[in-house]
Amino acid sequence: MGLLCSKNRHYAEADIEENAQAAEIERRIEQETKAEKHIQKLLLLGAGESGKSTIFKQIKLLFQTGFDEAELKSYVSVIDANIYQTIKILYDGSKEFAHNDVNSSKYVLSSENKVIGEKLSEIGSRLDYPRLNRELAEEIGELWKDSAIQETYARGIELQVPDCTHYFMENLQRLSDANYVPTKEDVLYARVRTTGVVEIQFSPVGENKKSGEVYRLFDVGGQRNERRKWIHLFEGVTAVIFCAAINEYDQTLFEDEQKNRMMETKELFDWVLKQPCFEKTSFMLFLNKFDIFEKKVLKVPLNVCEWFKDYQPVSAGKQEIEHAFEFIKKKFEELYFQSTAPDRVDRVFKVYRTTALDQKVVKKTFKLVDETLRRRNLLEAGLL
Amino acid sequence: MPMYQPSTRREADMKLDSQVLDLETAVKDGILGGGCGVIPTDFSSEKLDLKLMIEELEFVDVPTVFICPISLEPMQDPVTLCTGQTYERSNILKWFSLGRYTCPTTMQELWDDSVTPNKTLQQLIFSWFSQKYLAMKKRSEDVQGRVKEILENLKKVKGQARVQALKELRQVVQAHGIAKKTVVENGGVGLISSLLGPYTTHAVGSEVIGVLVNLNLISNIKSDLLQPAKMSLMVDILNEGSFETKLNCTRLITMLMEGNDFVSENVASLSLLVGLLRLAKDKKHQNGVLAGLSLLKVLCSHEQVRNSFVNVGAVPQLVELMPGLNNECLELVLYLLELLSNIPEGRLALKDCPLTIPNVVKLLMKASENCTQLALSILYVICKFAPEECASLALDAGLAAKLLLVIQSGCNPVLKQRSAELLKLCSLNYTTTIFISKCNLTRTSCFLEL
Repeated sequence: MGLLCSKNRHYAEADIEENAQAAEIERRIEQETKAEKHIQKLLLLGAGESGKSTIFKQIKLLFQTGFDEAELKSYVSVIDANIYQTIKILYDGSKEFAHNDVNSSKYVLSSENKVIGEKLSEIGSRLDYPRLNRELAEEIGELWKDSAIQETYARGIELQVPDCTHYFMENLQRLSDANYVPTKEDVLYARVRTTGVVEIQFSPVGENKKSGEVYRLFDVGGQRNERRKWIHLFEGVTAVIFCAAINEYDQTLFEDEQKNRMMETKELFDWVLKQPCFEKTSFMLFLNKFDIFEKKVLKVPLNVCEWFKDYQPVSAGKQEIEHAFEFIKKKFEELYFQSTAPDRVDRVFKVYRTTALDQKVVKKTFKLVDETLRRRNLLEAGLL
Repeated sequence: MPMYQPSTRREADMKLDSQVLDLETAVKDGILGGGCGVIPTDFSSEKLDLKLMIEELEFVDVPTVFICPISLEPMQDPVTLCTGQTYERSNILKWFSLGRYTCPTTMQELWDDSVTPNKTLQQLIFSWFSQKYLAMKKRSEDVQGRVKEILENLKKVKGQARVQALKELRQVVQAHGIAKKTVVENGGVGLISSLLGPYTTHAVGSEVIGVLVNLNLISNIKSDLLQPAKMSLMVDILNEGSFETKLNCTRLITMLMEGNDFVSENVASLSLLVGLLRLAKDKKHQNGVLAGLSLLKVLCSHEQVRNSFVNVGAVPQLVELMPGLNNECLELVLYLLELLSNIPEGRLALKDCPLTIPNVVKLLMKASENCTQLALSILYVICKFAPEECASLALDAGLAAKLLLVIQSGCNPVLKQRSAELLKLCSLNYTTTIFISKCNLTRTSCFLEL
């Protein structure tokens, strides 16, 4: 009997300990879930090359510790790749135009540059690129200055020439330095097609140094084949930051040269708006690449894009740029209300004009986004 | 003659008028002092005119002992009768000139028709008004100074300090009429509206609008504020703000639209229309409902806007809004629906909304004649558009009886005509007998009209 008693007691003790451990784990899970609840999920969505990753990098620079030297250096190979790929596109493009175009002479290179061109084209088609050095930089620079290449560049949209071309070509000397460490600006321009999902967590510090909301920002790939991965991220999203590059109204997709980019963006936005899980999600529409838009809109009329076919220019210069911008904004607004069921009309929808490469603009814009989301939280908590 | 006895005197005074003028206060306030009516203060160089002061202090509570019992106005030249009652000289003399030699308040016959100037009272009145007048002047000068200070401050500060300065400015402007003038005179309007930019926070923007809505805006300021970028900002603030902010935005936009109806098309963005609808549906704030509907009426004067308005689902929302509104708002809602009934999408939306017919029929002969007229128009349009569906529904809702009521009432002939047309339209598909039984009407009343 005594034995039985003591055995029971031993089991009882073990039970108590187990229970205590289980309770502790339960408590921790509960705490973490609670903490997770306070983290607001932001999703960067948009078609390919709409500027999502640039915004992502800007947020990192603004609200986290930015890029350390190792991270900066990691971009050297990306920038090299951008340069080789771009000059190859331009060279191959010039050959094509020289062959097919009526004014073929415009696109014919000088004989020395032809040699350089062939060499660079070969490099550009490799899987591994050599580090950019003084010699290569000079050759690329020579080729870039050739009038045939400049003429080809003027028709860049037909060839899928990336937006960072001009910037890198103008900085070749610096970029080819042996001890080159990319600047923040270089990193912002560097173009990598995002694949998969990237995330960062940050907390923008408020004006009175009070810590603000905690946000987790997700960046995704924009090309069509990447979009199937988006759906896994759609639960519990506080706000979608949808990026639309408004300068692309006359360009076609990288992944489908028959499709106009603006039309693709329009369809994508419509699809995103109708997603069931975004019923209560706030939508921040970033009409991006305004700097490129400004220069283009006075030369290329908006009505080349089917969606904007009813556009009527009213004046010239700055006023016309504003008018064109307001027109596009109105189109997106119309689309929003068309695609939004009556029971969702109460969700936040705001449009911002952005130039993602400009840090000041991104900072100010995000400040407004933050304010809106905080107000929304207070409203939902019944405190407003 | 009673000796001066302070305590009883005080009690007597207090019985007369709880407000003022026990001698203690009088002494403390320095009212009893100086012989020639000029107060030794900073402003002593001015000779103050009693008549002017009384005029400017129109709304101040004047102690009853200073008031003439005949005119109920403050006395400027008080005279006392033999009964001891005091009146304004000109008034009592007028009383005498009518042949009445009595004391108006005590009704006693006068044993002595002399009027004695009450110098003491006159002195007190003058001193009291002077004090009040100078205090008011000082306060208003202060207000002006404060406004100038705030405006200077606004040029320098940012962020939370800016929000605070604007809040203060709003309070001052709302409390003192003179502040508005000061703001305008010191370039304040331009300064404040320049604070509305592409990166203006909601906190700052809502305060700016709160100030602007209290001021008179001249046309070039209005044009500046009507620019698309600034309007966009205002609409965003309207959609995100508290009720007070929503109301201020609506009022400001209404102010900007005055005399500028042609800009309706540009101003009336979808977001604004949706925002105003939301405001109009908020029955907890009736003045918001009115403001929202009034602005919608102005905006819908433009055809393009009407199309957009229907596209954001205005029709069912307006129809559902109707029950429980006051007459003024009802008229606005019916006006809007009538406007929308004239475009194809509007007609369709009206027909498709199940509550249209019952709600509109209910309003016939209920609110005002205007409402009835508008309701009739709407019903006529719908029934003409889809007679089979709508006529039946309308009759089920008791339309026929109402129409007969209109026809047999004292309404203007146009309404009667409309009602008759509508009745005819609805009865087209029925034989008289069936129609009568369907509508529960008496044979005679119907026979007369059909």
